[in-house]
This record gives sequence, structure tokens and C-alpha cells, in this order.
Amino acid sequence: MSAPGRPKCESRPLGGSEAREPDGPPRGRTGESEARATFDTPRVSGDHTMASRRTRRAFEHASLHAALIVVSFCMLLPFYWVLKTSLTGENIFVYPPSVVPVDPHLFYYVDVWYFIPFPRYLLNSVVVSVLAIAANVVFNALAAYALTKHFRGRGAIITVLLSCMMIPFQTTIVPAYLITAKLGLLNSYLGLALPTFSTIICIFVYKASFEAVPRSLIDAARIDGLSELAIIRRIMLPLATSAVATNVVLSFVWSWNNFLWPLIIVRDPDMQTLPLGLSRFLSYHENTTGALYAFCIMVLAPGILLFLMAQKEFIRGLTSGATKA
Amino acid sequence: MKRNRLVSLLRHRFVAVPLAIAIAVAAWNVYVSQHDDGIVRGEVVGPDGRPVAGATVSMMEQNFTTNSDRGKTTTRGDGSFEFTDNRSHNIQLRAEKPGVGRSDLVVVRLYFRAENVTLREPLRIKPSS
Repeated sequence: MSAPGRPKCESRPLGGSEAREPDGPPRGRTGESEARATFDTPRVSGDHTMASRRTRRAFEHASLHAALIVVSFCMLLPFYWVLKTSLTGENIFVYPPSVVPVDPHLFYYVDVWYFIPFPRYLLNSVVVSVLAIAANVVFNALAAYALTKHFRGRGAIITVLLSCMMIPFQTTIVPAYLITAKLGLLNSYLGLALPTFSTIICIFVYKASFEAVPRSLIDAARIDGLSELAIIRRIMLPLATSAVATNVVLSFVWSWNNFLWPLIIVRDPDMQTLPLGLSRFLSYHENTTGALYAFCIMVLAPGILLFLMAQKEFIRGLTSGATKA
Repeated sequence: MKRNRLVSLLRHRFVAVPLAIAIAVAAWNVYVSQHDDGIVRGEVVGPDGRPVAGATVSMMEQNFTTNSDRGKTTTRGDGSFEFTDNRSHNIQLRAEKPGVGRSDLVVVRLYFRAENVTLREPLRIKPSS
């Protein structure tokens, strides 16, 4: 039985010439050929248009992919070169350079592991990054939730935050050092992670995600007796997984690659992080192209792995931040 | 129901990937602990390819910029030798016999410290010029 007020549907599944209409007699081939004959002329021009549109779309698709392949190649070539050199130790000034690794082996990675206290540096970097990630996920969410509220001075706070984004860390490094020293946090994990505990970009990524949550949902949660902190934890964060992933990836990458701050506040060699270890390795050993590149790969690998795991949410979080801020 | 939730949790990439890495690291550490007695075995042959008995084999350890002596041993009647106290991952070996000659310095690289290893190629003594 057809729905009332709904036009009868003439289209049928492929090969279903003998199929029965929902509320009619079985339809034979004669009826079908009549229908074909009726619409023959317009369909030819329609097919032609559709075919040309399909061809154009395929061409656009192919050219877009070709451009992306070229760009990817340019972006990935240096990474490939670093990886290749870490496996072969080939001097970078060799001409002509070999594109394919010749006699690759993993012994440069073993050298890096044992020649310097790599496990200790790795542990330090992991601890500092975990602290930074945890702090960013929590503090940025609190700040962003506050900024979604309407209160006097909100615009001024947002303006100040956006302005502060333009101040480079190098200009505030002396007061940051003095504050950290006053707190007695020099040479400590907390001191290493402290300046990366909250980042303004990540606050705005959260803010954009939180603003997308319907107001009625928050009101309903409040009526149900949830406190503001519980609303963040149980309503906002589960609905903003992309923003959480973006926070995790960005705070990890920034704290993992941080060189200047650890260089300034760390005196104890046992508290050095991987970027400091890399510079120490360079100063110790000059003639180890392979080991140096292996070190670079070992420093890069955790960041790349984390990004590959969280890339879907990360990109979604960034784009939502771009369009809804 | 609980089992399904556990399976889906384990299959989540943020759990599965670190878990796989942890298992690989644990397996590697077990393998290392079973093969780190510091044994280096090999054979010394003369210019004619026949085993050389009584040759002195020196083992050196390569550090950042220097090679430091880590011991000597003498080949047996069948030309074989064995070190049992290697603690490095990057060693160099040289065989020498007065009146016969000495071999090139052979670099032996290992995947971990004190890895047990048997040289594939014998140390070949060349006649001293």
C-alpha cells in the first residue's frame, strides 16, 4: 500500500522486470519498453551530461590526487632520507647519493641506546610529556568552559588571551625562570612541564567544541543536579573527544620537542630530556652520521606514532576549531 | 556483555598499539636475558685456510672515540677461540701469531650488550710482509 499523498514510484531494482508493484499487478516487459520509448530522447542527452560530468569529476579527482602525491612526496622525502641514513650511515655529501638503502642495518640504533643514557632521557621526556598532556586536558577544559559563559569582561579576557598568543616564549623566559626558581622547581619534572601546562590555542580548540554542545543539554544536566565541574567531566568532555585528542597531540608534540626551556632550567645530566640529549650527543660525537640520524628517528617516533593513532580526532578537532571559533 | 566490552576496549587503537609495543618490549627483554652471557666464539685460519693453533686473539671494545683493550685468548688445536666476558655491543677482534702474521681488525657489532655470538667468518691471518 502506498503512502497517502505520495507519488507512485516508477523505479524498480535491476533485473526486476517481473517484480510486482507494491499495490498493483505484475508488470511485464511490454510496459517497461513503453516507458523506455517514452523517455528515450531526454535520457540520451541526460546520459551524455552525466557521463561528461563523471569524466570531469574523475579528472578533478585524479589531478587533486596527483597534486597531493607530489606534495606528500616533497614532505616525506626528508623523512625518508633521515630513515635511510639511519640505516646505512651513508655520508650526506656522497655523490651520487643512493636512493635505495645499501646494506641497511640497525646497529646505529644500538649505538645510540648505549653510547648515551638514552633510556633515562626517554623516561624524562615521557614523564614531562604525560604531565603536560594531563594538565592541558584538564586546565584548558576548565578555562574553555568558563569562556563559553557570558559574564562581564569576557571579551576583554578573550582579547588578552589572543594577544598573548603573539608573544614568543623567548621574551618571557626570564620571568618564567625566576618564578620556577622561586618555587624551587629547577631540575624537576614539574618545573620542566610547568610552562606547557596550558596553551591558549588549545583553550580555543576546547571552546569551539564546547560551544557546539546544545545549551539545553547543559541546562538539563544542571536541573538534574550536576555541578559545573561534573558538567565538564560528564557532559562536555565526552562530547568533545576531537578537542581532547587535539589537546593531547599538540601538548605532547610541544613538550616533547621543547629544547630551550629544559636547556635553561636543567643542570643535572640525569634530568635531561631527549632534545637536550640530542645536542649532547652531537657535542660528544661528531663523526657519526648514522647514529645521529638514528637518534633523530628515535626522538621522532613516539610523536609520529601518537599522531597516527589520533589523527582522525586531531584533524576533526582542528577543523571544528577553525570554523566555530 | 562484560567480555564484549573488554574485547572492544582491547581492540581500540589507543589500547591495542601500546599493548602490542609492551608485549614486543617484554618479549625482547626475555630474549636478551637468555642470550647475554658475553660469549664470543670464532675460529682463526692461516693464509692457506687451515686452522691456526696457538694464535693470540685480542678483543677491543669501541667506545665513543677510543678502542680499549678488553682481553686476550689463545686458539685451541682446532683454531677455535672463545671469550666469555664480553660486556660491550661493539667489539673489535684481531688474531696474531709470531712467525705467521696477523689478521685485519674485524669489527663485530651486536644487537645488545654481551650478546652471545659466533663469528660467521674466521679471522684470517695474513703473512707479515
